[in-house]
Amino acid sequence: MDCWAGPLLQYSNTPIFRHLILMDPIKLTIDGKEVATTKGKTVIEAAAEIGIDIPHYCYHPKLSIAGNCRMCLVEIERMPKLQIACNMPVVEGMSVLTQSPKVLAIRKAVMEFLLVNHPLDCPICDQAGECWLQDYYMQHDLQGSRFQERKEHDRKREVFGPNVVFDGERCIKCTRCVRFFQEVTRTDELSVVNRGDHSTIALFPGTVLDNPLSGNVVDICPVGALTDRDFRFKVRVWYLQKTSSICPGCSTGCNVSVETYQNRIARFKPRINEAVNSHWLCDEGRYCFHDLTGGERLTTPMIRQEGGLVPTTWERALEAMLSGLRGAIPLAGILSGRNTNEEAFLFAKLMKKLSQDCALEVLYQERELSEVQKILMSPDRSPNFRGAREMGVSSNGGLEPLMRKLFDGHFSGAYVVGEDLMGINNDQDRIRQMLQKLSFLVVQDIRMTETAQLAHVVLPSTQFGEKEGTYTNRNGRVQKLNIATIAPEGALQDCEIFVRLLDAAGDKVSYSTPVEVFDALAKEVPAYHGLNYAAIGEQGIQLGGGEAKQQ
Amino acid sequence: MEKVLLRNIDVPDSHTLAVYSSRGGYRPWQEVVKNIRPEQLIEEIKASGLRGRGGAGFPTGMKWGFVPKDSPKPKYMVCNADESEPGTFKDRLLIEKDPHAIIEGTLMAAYAIQSHTAFIYIRGELAFGANILERAVDEATQAGYIGKNILGSGYDVDLIVHRGAGAYICGEETALLSSLEGGRGWPKVKPPFPATHGLFGCPTVVNNVETLAALPWIIEHGAAAYAAMGTDKSKGTKLFSVSGHISKPGVYELEMGYPLMKFLEEDCGGVPNGRRLKGVIPGGGSMPVLRPDELEKVNLDYESVQAAGSLLGSGGVIVMDDGTCMVRAAWNLARFFAHESCGQCSPCREGCHWMEKIFHRIEQGEGRKGDLELILNVSGNIMGNTICPFGDAAAMPAAAFVRKYREEFEEHITQKRCTIRNGVME
Repeated sequence: MDCWAGPLLQYSNTPIFRHLILMDPIKLTIDGKEVATTKGKTVIEAAAEIGIDIPHYCYHPKLSIAGNCRMCLVEIERMPKLQIACNMPVVEGMSVLTQSPKVLAIRKAVMEFLLVNHPLDCPICDQAGECWLQDYYMQHDLQGSRFQERKEHDRKREVFGPNVVFDGERCIKCTRCVRFFQEVTRTDELSVVNRGDHSTIALFPGTVLDNPLSGNVVDICPVGALTDRDFRFKVRVWYLQKTSSICPGCSTGCNVSVETYQNRIARFKPRINEAVNSHWLCDEGRYCFHDLTGGERLTTPMIRQEGGLVPTTWERALEAMLSGLRGAIPLAGILSGRNTNEEAFLFAKLMKKLSQDCALEVLYQERELSEVQKILMSPDRSPNFRGAREMGVSSNGGLEPLMRKLFDGHFSGAYVVGEDLMGINNDQDRIRQMLQKLSFLVVQDIRMTETAQLAHVVLPSTQFGEKEGTYTNRNGRVQKLNIATIAPEGALQDCEIFVRLLDAAGDKVSYSTPVEVFDALAKEVPAYHGLNYAAIGEQGIQLGGGEAKQQ
Repeated sequence: MEKVLLRNIDVPDSHTLAVYSSRGGYRPWQEVVKNIRPEQLIEEIKASGLRGRGGAGFPTGMKWGFVPKDSPKPKYMVCNADESEPGTFKDRLLIEKDPHAIIEGTLMAAYAIQSHTAFIYIRGELAFGANILERAVDEATQAGYIGKNILGSGYDVDLIVHRGAGAYICGEETALLSSLEGGRGWPKVKPPFPATHGLFGCPTVVNNVETLAALPWIIEHGAAAYAAMGTDKSKGTKLFSVSGHISKPGVYELEMGYPLMKFLEEDCGGVPNGRRLKGVIPGGGSMPVLRPDELEKVNLDYESVQAAGSLLGSGGVIVMDDGTCMVRAAWNLARFFAHESCGQCSPCREGCHWMEKIFHRIEQGEGRKGDLELILNVSGNIMGNTICPFGDAAAMPAAAFVRKYREEFEEHITQKRCTIRNGVME
């Protein structure tokens, strides 16, 4: 059974073999093209380097090699059997064929095997449209089924946890999910049980798939076996519009694709960025858009009159606000950690224009994280706290002294952007009393929050997904948000509100769009010198000259 | 011919240390551990020409030689006693009747690769044999042949008998190692190979029971004496388990190269009840069946059986007479492999069951036109494309039955029933 292995094994002890294995650039050819790569790479990796995508299911660049799907079998000169590209180390002078008749034939055969017990009911499968079985069928199979027997049945719709549901019949046993929980989260909830074509994935007895990264297995499952309970059967994926953006869940700044349908966010999917989140996204981030968006939106500015908030025009609201705040010095300005760098830059500029006697801070709270959470999550829920503070939204000592001063009645006026202060802890009565003591309170938000109900002026603004701009993550990586959904009529972009206010306050600025604001802040904020918006790209830019870190 | 492997089995209480020692047992081990260097031992076994008796026939000394000598990791020696090949029961006889020969051979192999922990992985169903082995290990330990500073040599080795949970796949060496590690009995992808990355990622050698049981004799009589037996490329002797339609079934020790038909007719008494021979599987259930016309010139050595279109494998000789329905026989084997496929890789997981379903349908009289081509095609798609040799083991016999008894399969499909009556097709 290991006769063919003999020749390779013989070399494994020789210095030459070790030399080849451990280091040094080497050359091989794949489909006649010469590839220069390094020792230790596998054929599938070397092929990817020159843009040859060898089809595969079980191989995942961030997981151990399983070698079980057999889809990546390729022909290697002087080897009698086809070899799996995912596990075959590159060797100097090796010649690989990925499109030979033998290889094309085995791909068809593997596709046929995988479909033997797979239900052919794509129309009612939520994976349809992003299923690797469908895609590879089109690319490598395109034949009718020769399987005329009764298919084996398995569990359908088994709930694995709060976010993941399992369909055993659609599973191809690639074990990506099993390996993810063994190797990335190290929580080991899943395993393969039973044998042969009764093999199936099962939860370890007594466990629930509720670890903080559980949703990732839906992304890495190449077929419809693991689907997202939040997303499944809500929309066909081919109707989704995809926009590159940054997760607003915390300051890790995971790169996401915001996928929308009919102007609503349907789901987040992670985008690969090795400098930030690799291939992953935590569950909290994945589903955070539910809390951050929707609800009954504010679409008109309001001002307080005779005990109540009444709708008004933007002109009158901004006018009332400016005169109100000017008469309520000293000022406190509290900005949400979800506001962009551009917004923070304008906010700081505006507040300092209104009065030098003002204190600005970003709302920031920390919580304890478990070991699994720490893999990806930051302790805050303020994706841009670092950027906003670098833009000048910061006071001595941070948020806590500012809040203490607020409670002590130090400030007469306050401008609260994008946060419901009543929601930040359990001491709601005390916060309410504190806010009511202010002689002038302006709240800028997307919904009529409890804090907004206490305001003298309420300004309707835009939520995550409706604006573009940049976030600077905890580690100083500047990354770009893009517009995925259209804001409702009547609400204004925070940037536009600030620019109008600056204008009205007599500080006419020459920039208004986030792009223009960024280029302006790059000139004024030392850490951002030399950056320009266009150069940020899809993968972000590291502050402090860390461009080399970009993948 | 002098018996190498079965030399003790007819002696009463051959499984005890007292009897084994009285017949010269453990003297070779004393010689090895005191006077022979590991490299010398490897050279001696290379010179003997001994090849692995588990089925693949890989040269034993060469296998040992692949273990890196300068590895900082511990090394492991594993005796594969997971005998479960259909029609194979030679290792069981050795385990039950001559456990000390296996232990002595395992110790020598461990010494050759300088392993200090050796295992005997025994199939779970062989409970009787496992008890005997465990008692024998206790005896050998008490006698000082196993443990620390063996016989004052400074060499230490522990020997652990580990019972499997009963899965054919665990006879495949890397699945065996996965199981021994406490994991699911799944074969590992190669490379890397066990010689460098085996048990717990450490250099490991896995040898079959019969292979190891031959070592004491080779050391006692010398490599030349062993190499003098057998053929040019297949040296020494081998055990054959004969079953099926044969007058004297059982385990036989033959010099390699012994003529198969002579063996069946003279040594085993031929096919009983006046029936005629219809087919022989020479190497256990996973090897291709041979028709009588293919058997005439076959000698029982690796090369000759291979030349005839099959493989010597484990030496499980399954004899079928002319009353046998080959469709049913093929289905029986297909069912075994479908049941035992571990399910790890796609071609084997899906293909074995697919073939089983087709064979079953034909056997039930529900065969369809095109079924035979489909079986041949599916088996061809499995062959050589799986993680471990199990895929080949399932594919080879299926294809061989269809190719060699095609007429009978076609009769089954067109007549929608078995037409074998009194040894002939109706």
